[in-house]
Amino acid sequence: MNTEPMSLQDFRGLLTNMCEGVSGRDLSDEDRVRRAKKAFAQKLNGHRAVDLDSCLHCGMCAEACHFYEATQDEKYAPVYKYRLLRRFYRREMSPMRWFYRPFTRDISGADLKEWQHLVYEACTGCGRCDMICPMGIKISAAIRVVRHGLAAAGYVPPEMRILRDEQRDQNTQFGVGAEKLKALVAEFSAQGIDVPLDRDQADVMLLTTAVEVLLFPDALAANARILNKAGADWTIRSDAFEAANVGIITGDDPTMDLAIKRIVDKAKACGVKTLLMPESGHAYQTMRWEAANEMGEPLTFDVVSMPEFISSAIAKGRLTLNKQSNGTSVTYHDPCRLSRKGGVTQQPRDVLAAMGLDVRETASTGRENYCCGGGCGEYVMCKGADLRQKAFEIKRRELDEAGADAVVTGCANCRMNLMIGADNSGWQMPITSLVETVAANLAD
Amino acid sequence: MENMTLLDFARGPGLQWALWIFTFGVVWRLVGAIFLLARKDLSKPRRHNSLVAGIGAVISRSAPAHAFEKKIRFQHVTGYAWHFALFISVLFFAPHILFFESVLGFGWPHLPNAIILLTGVIAIGVLVALLIRRATHPVQRFISNADDYISIFVVLVPLITGLLAFAHFGARYETLLAIHLLSVEVMLIWFPFGKLMHAVMTVPARFQAGTAFGRRGVKA
Repeated sequence: MNTEPMSLQDFRGLLTNMCEGVSGRDLSDEDRVRRAKKAFAQKLNGHRAVDLDSCLHCGMCAEACHFYEATQDEKYAPVYKYRLLRRFYRREMSPMRWFYRPFTRDISGADLKEWQHLVYEACTGCGRCDMICPMGIKISAAIRVVRHGLAAAGYVPPEMRILRDEQRDQNTQFGVGAEKLKALVAEFSAQGIDVPLDRDQADVMLLTTAVEVLLFPDALAANARILNKAGADWTIRSDAFEAANVGIITGDDPTMDLAIKRIVDKAKACGVKTLLMPESGHAYQTMRWEAANEMGEPLTFDVVSMPEFISSAIAKGRLTLNKQSNGTSVTYHDPCRLSRKGGVTQQPRDVLAAMGLDVRETASTGRENYCCGGGCGEYVMCKGADLRQKAFEIKRRELDEAGADAVVTGCANCRMNLMIGADNSGWQMPITSLVETVAANLAD
Repeated sequence: MENMTLLDFARGPGLQWALWIFTFGVVWRLVGAIFLLARKDLSKPRRHNSLVAGIGAVISRSAPAHAFEKKIRFQHVTGYAWHFALFISVLFFAPHILFFESVLGFGWPHLPNAIILLTGVIAIGVLVALLIRRATHPVQRFISNADDYISIFVVLVPLITGLLAFAHFGARYETLLAIHLLSVEVMLIWFPFGKLMHAVMTVPARFQAGTAFGRRGVKA
């Protein structure tokens, strides 16, 4: 089996092929609206209700959205992206619904079609708008509920639907399954990198993603080398390695729960104490913050990101990194779901500092960071490509202004989006991963 | 009843009904929304001090985060100017304090009329500026609905009628006072139905954002 990394061009070709020749589901508008409303009703709770009842229509959230900033198109104001949910709430669930109903338009099939563009192609769920709202409304959480409604109504964009169905039905993504991983591990072994595959018991269970296996196998090799160097008792399972969760991205709960359960069941069976997440922001968010709630009980193990693991291993003296003395500067791009939505902001900076790198921040950083432009599965969609590129240009401008020699990030999807944006615009900035940078600086 | 003047109505049953609708509406809307309830979060918290995080957000969301400061300076400055001017005009005008004293049983020192006149004019000016912005700014115009304009109108009218009564301008004082009181009553009645409700929702909304982000170790 070929274990050569796929080139960015080949991967982009793969995405383009996915976009072609896919037709939508054949549902009546009436059915779609009914399904969307049912999903909205299931997802609305006290938190969302307080949020929906608190909006001032001040429009400040637009100023935090990269899609609005890039286009100045008012329909990309985050407040508008969840308007559909607010209309439903006001008509059907608000304590004041008896008053609002005559004045609030019902949801139509045409609305659902319009909002497919707004919440899938024009929102990466980055949550930057959550940080600007003077009322503290979790706007991205409300928009996520809109995605749930659209998913139930059959409005998941076709490219995402292919990936979702593949994960649900075959437990693979982009065709990457157990055999592909085993072949890659054999290749690593030939290079002298020990990967304890399919152990029945281990303290640490590492996950990876199809994108890593296909595009960035060096990141997986780096994780293995870091774990070995830190003396971890670890494994990676060929029957439960995929960290990416297309269910959460699309708003499809059954697929999200199935993908989570595969991992949770295997981790429990292996007596795992730590589930170690690869460089994937949304995968970390899913397992760290959503999994317990979706499974209906607390997890029996900790969920830890690689920056947290490395920073902790350094602090405990289990990992020593070579200090660079050539004044190399880097900018760390915060993956939204790792930093703003996950709390892993300082650890990657500590790790970079431990290697003696000069860390230069962008003007908006940490919890206020701009998204790469293609998170939440957007990168697979052909239709939003121009819009994504415009959003990427904001990120690029800030990264250029930071003036570092390279960009380091902790998410393979961010890395790929940045590389695609660079490829489109001829940007020459080196873009790499945190774990690969660490693996290259492991002290003997 | 036959001899009841407009002022009698405004001071009596009008005010009583307005306060009942205001109180019941606010409680109904607030409790109704909160009682949709959320499931307990079962994920392992990064930080446990959710009360501190919640209170922290109630305070911290009063100022924009660094990255956004320049972009929302107009809303930030006008927001503060509007609320300060409104609160001073409402809470520190001598006749208002007498009214509150008659209801609450206690009063507090008032500010000179000249200052109240100034804050009243500032409040009206800022509100008109916000109205113009809402009608002209592409995003605000696009996302606005009738509630936004009604809410501005029902707050603007008591301010204007209050100033007219203060100046004894345009009609008999009793008539102006009655109109002023009635306009306040209309505002109280509208309050729980529209976005004036944000005055009540601010604390729970910010608090829950603070606890949700705080749980993840993120400053809201």
